[in-house]
Amino acid sequence: MTRLIEAEEGSRQLFMGNEAIARGALEAGMKVAAGYPGTPSSEIIENLAEVSEKAGIYVEWSANEKVAMEVAAAASFAGLRSLCVMKQNGVNVASDFLLHLAGSGTRAGMVLVPCDDPGALSSVNEGESRHFARLVEVPLLEPGDFQEAKDMVKWAFTLSEEIRNLVMVRSVTRLSHASGNVIMGNIAESKNLEAETKNSAFFKHDGFILDQMEGAVISAPVTYKHGQQHEKLKKAIEFFETSPFNTYTGPENPELLVITSSVCSLYTNEALQMLNAKDRVGLLKLGTTWPLPPKLVAKHLKMTDKILIVEEVIPFLEESVKTLAAELGPEIGVKTFFGKRDNTIPSTGELNPDIIASALSGILGIDMEPVPEAYTKRAGELAFLNAPVRDLTFCPGCPHRASFWSIKNALTMDNREGFICGDIGCYSLAMLPSGFSALKTLHSMGSGTGVASGFGKLGQFGLNQPVVSVCGDSTFFHSAMPALVNAVHHRSNLTMIILDNSGTGMTGFQPHPGLNEDALGKDAPAVDIEAVVRAAGANVTVCDPFDLAETRETVLKLLEDNNGVNVLILRQICALSPEKKGKKQFEMSVDENICVGENCGCNRLCTRIFSCPGLTWDREKKVSRIDEVICAGCGVCASICPLQAINKKEVA
Amino acid sequence: MQVFGSKELLEDVINRDLCIGCGACVGRCPYFKSYKGKTAMLFECDLSEGRCFAHCPKVEVDLDSLSTTFFQKAYDGNPLGSYMEILGAKAGDKIAKAEFQNGGSVSALIALALETGLIDAAVLTDREGIIPTPRLVTNAQEVFECASSKYMAAPTLSALNNGIEQGFERMGVVATPCQATAVAKIRTNPVKRANFIDPVNLVIGLFCTWALDTRQMLSFLSDQPDMADDIRSADIRSMDIPPPPEEVMVIETGTKKTKIPLKEIRPMICESCQFCPDMTAEWSDISVGAFEGKPGWNTLVIRTKKGKNLVEEAVEKGYLQVEKIPEESIKHLAGAALNKKRNSFIKNVEKGLVNTGEKEGRSAIRLSDDVLKKITAQKENAV
Ligand SMILES: Cc1cc2nc3c(=O)[nH]c(=O)nc-3n(C[C@H](O)[C@H](O)[C@H](O)COP(=O)(O)OP(=O)(O)OC[C@H]3O[C@@H](n4cnc5c(N)ncnc54)[C@H](O)[C@@H]3O)c2cc1C
Ligand code: SF4
Ligand code: SF4
Repeated sequence: MTRLIEAEEGSRQLFMGNEAIARGALEAGMKVAAGYPGTPSSEIIENLAEVSEKAGIYVEWSANEKVAMEVAAAASFAGLRSLCVMKQNGVNVASDFLLHLAGSGTRAGMVLVPCDDPGALSSVNEGESRHFARLVEVPLLEPGDFQEAKDMVKWAFTLSEEIRNLVMVRSVTRLSHASGNVIMGNIAESKNLEAETKNSAFFKHDGFILDQMEGAVISAPVTYKHGQQHEKLKKAIEFFETSPFNTYTGPENPELLVITSSVCSLYTNEALQMLNAKDRVGLLKLGTTWPLPPKLVAKHLKMTDKILIVEEVIPFLEESVKTLAAELGPEIGVKTFFGKRDNTIPSTGELNPDIIASALSGILGIDMEPVPEAYTKRAGELAFLNAPVRDLTFCPGCPHRASFWSIKNALTMDNREGFICGDIGCYSLAMLPSGFSALKTLHSMGSGTGVASGFGKLGQFGLNQPVVSVCGDSTFFHSAMPALVNAVHHRSNLTMIILDNSGTGMTGFQPHPGLNEDALGKDAPAVDIEAVVRAAGANVTVCDPFDLAETRETVLKLLEDNNGVNVLILRQICALSPEKKGKKQFEMSVDENICVGENCGCNRLCTRIFSCPGLTWDREKKVSRIDEVICAGCGVCASICPLQAINKKEVA
Repeated sequence: MQVFGSKELLEDVINRDLCIGCGACVGRCPYFKSYKGKTAMLFECDLSEGRCFAHCPKVEVDLDSLSTTFFQKAYDGNPLGSYMEILGAKAGDKIAKAEFQNGGSVSALIALALETGLIDAAVLTDREGIIPTPRLVTNAQEVFECASSKYMAAPTLSALNNGIEQGFERMGVVATPCQATAVAKIRTNPVKRANFIDPVNLVIGLFCTWALDTRQMLSFLSDQPDMADDIRSADIRSMDIPPPPEEVMVIETGTKKTKIPLKEIRPMICESCQFCPDMTAEWSDISVGAFEGKPGWNTLVIRTKKGKNLVEEAVEKGYLQVEKIPEESIKHLAGAALNKKRNSFIKNVEKGLVNTGEKEGRSAIRLSDDVLKKITAQKENAV
């Protein structure tokens, strides 16, 4: 991806939204970038890491989002422009620092890019990062297309330096992960104001205490700094009033004004086209969504009496606009609002042009058939005939399938209704049949062990079920460590199982502190999970999850122990990791003469329950077989077959 | 005999706490596993008929059908079941001393049966610490290693299933009454397999009034200050219940003998035992128990020709020593057996487990209404 820095000024490139964001930062002369992997944000840091040497920048995958923001803030304090990237709920993790950072202010431009996931396409929440802008009172920008993604990020650094505070630029899945044309700006000319004058990073801290640029960087005295922060916001509003990122298209006196932002502006445009209603409806696309520029909004509210606000997830824009409308009442008169609060726009999930078109047609009284009936019918038929129902499932050869098989079996055999507190990672899938529906709680990163630590203390109230938590290696460093320490210190009774697949598998193998590699692929000292656990004072055992019998026996033994925290590390590299991918350790085969298939004695244990996609059921012969193309050759299914019908042969 | 699947087994037996953990369903398929005395179903199996249900001694036991198969007559409710002869016995001179429970008759008979080839393997119950463990053995030495009673319900029959997998075709089984019932069901090929071979050639039943729950015993003994160490080191040698009026269980470990009052032991009796109508293991060739009033001896209830032949051969070869048993002792035994039968049938009827389910189709036990009436109408015996 050297294109990211080499693409020439003025050239047109097909860029993914996340690449556009990365390019924008490079054009702005950003020097330090930090983040924590999380879909849909990961490619921003990945792309920057790839060009980091050429661009002379520092990029890291931090242990968690809070640390990432702290790392980026340090750069800003030392006079270097910095970028911080995370997925929506990452901002929750970072939020305590975020609040204090907004209070202390920043020096060189600092931009936070959260990537939200409306509809939870790859999340277990539909969290919103936008409200953090309002909560901690920093400006918020929302790009509406790929060009803006680049240009807004670039401008955000300027704004940040104008007001000496953090600026948030919020992306969403459909922007981050889709691609579009972007015209390049200049990288070579981009300059970093502080770096230019000082030519090197320097943290000045001995100035007057109230001097944000030279004194200590702190959020106290609080009311004084808070007051300053409000002045900064007023300045931001000035910029927003005339910002080219806020655009209006449509007639001078529309029947209806749509106010929208982000990708919803694209959807709305499409919907208006579908309904042929561009001459009836005005479209105010806002790029600067907090704080709203009141003059600009007032000007447009005056155009008509009916206003529809289109946005995803929470009614953030809607509430801001309504607040302004109330304040502007005498000037603009009474308006009728449509949006989420009156259910014109669905209050959950992603939006699309069809949904918006049907909302518009309702208000405008247009009979609409957004999708031709023949198309709907044919699509339905095809889906019914051809598309098999596919559950979300672990990959072939995935160590998690093997791990949960053994843990679940041990818990069932133990027979005391023990349960697993889940955590965030690929292994969250274990709440579904693919992981034998093994997870019984699932919340945020690191919370599996935290919740388990609580359950493990309920013995005095009669809770005698075995308590197990699982967590991935990356999650361990992210936030499970405090939970572990808490559990050890309070002698909570639990078994913590660390599913160590040597990478941040779910988001694409970003390194984490447990590996001897950094974001750039360079040598880095690995922090040994086992040693950390031991130092915390917990017993630790290590097992290969592919050894099903040993893993089960080990878990059974640990469940018996009622004496504080036991940690089991199940270590086996992810099937998709670069080391393993495409290389089979075993050549697998099923002996048709031994396989009893659906009969009593097996009833398709491998294809019905274990369900590795590498195993298929031959309906005609009524035996299982290996799908050579899909099988990863891990060999695990050989040890689940009760009749030893599945053979494994070591690949030479 | 009606056969259903694991779903029904789960509903009727496991979820009702009627499972005695005998191991009949363990080892035939990957879904059932036994751990520390409890049978667990690991994953759901959706077959409508399975050997798990068909072989379970706690559901759909058709007493008439079993009696017809094994004794060629309808089930008549006789307290001691069908038998030819009752004798006193103990291991003969040819048998070396071992940790026998009573007279060592069981071990002696099994050792002989292995030596003569009457059986090709024996399904016995060994122990690991306090936990009874199934063991499939093929020689006399191993038989003696398994001597002595483990007073907990044991998954013994998983070793039978294991033997079937290994291809043994004439096994001997030493079984408590519930286990013997399962063995009887297995031998009738309830799932009607075409190439079925009866894997069992000899059943030696044990008298039994109740068995204890392994896990409760384990945690109870671990909580006894003077037992905890022995439990941890798993060095349990024997368990015994001396004849009344002592009212204790004696547990011998490598270091000492500990007496535990029976009133502390009784709460740990398996729930399922209250519903068990059989005290003398009626579905066997020979049943063996203690000889009340004669320590170091057994009571032998010989039920089949095969059993009688084996005993005679054992006496002839000096493996067994027998003597007549006083009529009074037999009466006493029958009285105790009657009490167990009567009380359990009353309980079974109360819970709707007998001859019910014309509509729902499932019942724990079936027998003729007349016999049922006869059993439950009897007065409790003073024994
Ligand atoms: C749970 C239980 C309850 C009993 N209750 C009574 C009773 O109330 N009255 C009475 O007279 N006798 C009872 N017995 C039988 C008695 O304890 C002796 O087993 C019997 O008298 C045979 O003695 P022996 O010296 O010939 O046995 P040994 O030669 O010592 O052989 C004992 C045999 O018992 C088998 N065994 C041990 N534990 C178990 C178990 N848990 N499940 C299945 N098999 C096992 C072993 O495989 C071994 O082969 C009970 C036995 C058990 C296991
Ligand atoms: S060896 Fe078996 S479990 Fe492993 S990938 Fe192949 S089919 Fe799946
Ligand atoms: S009493 Fe019945 S159910 Fe209980 S162990 Fe003895 S034979 Fe089995």
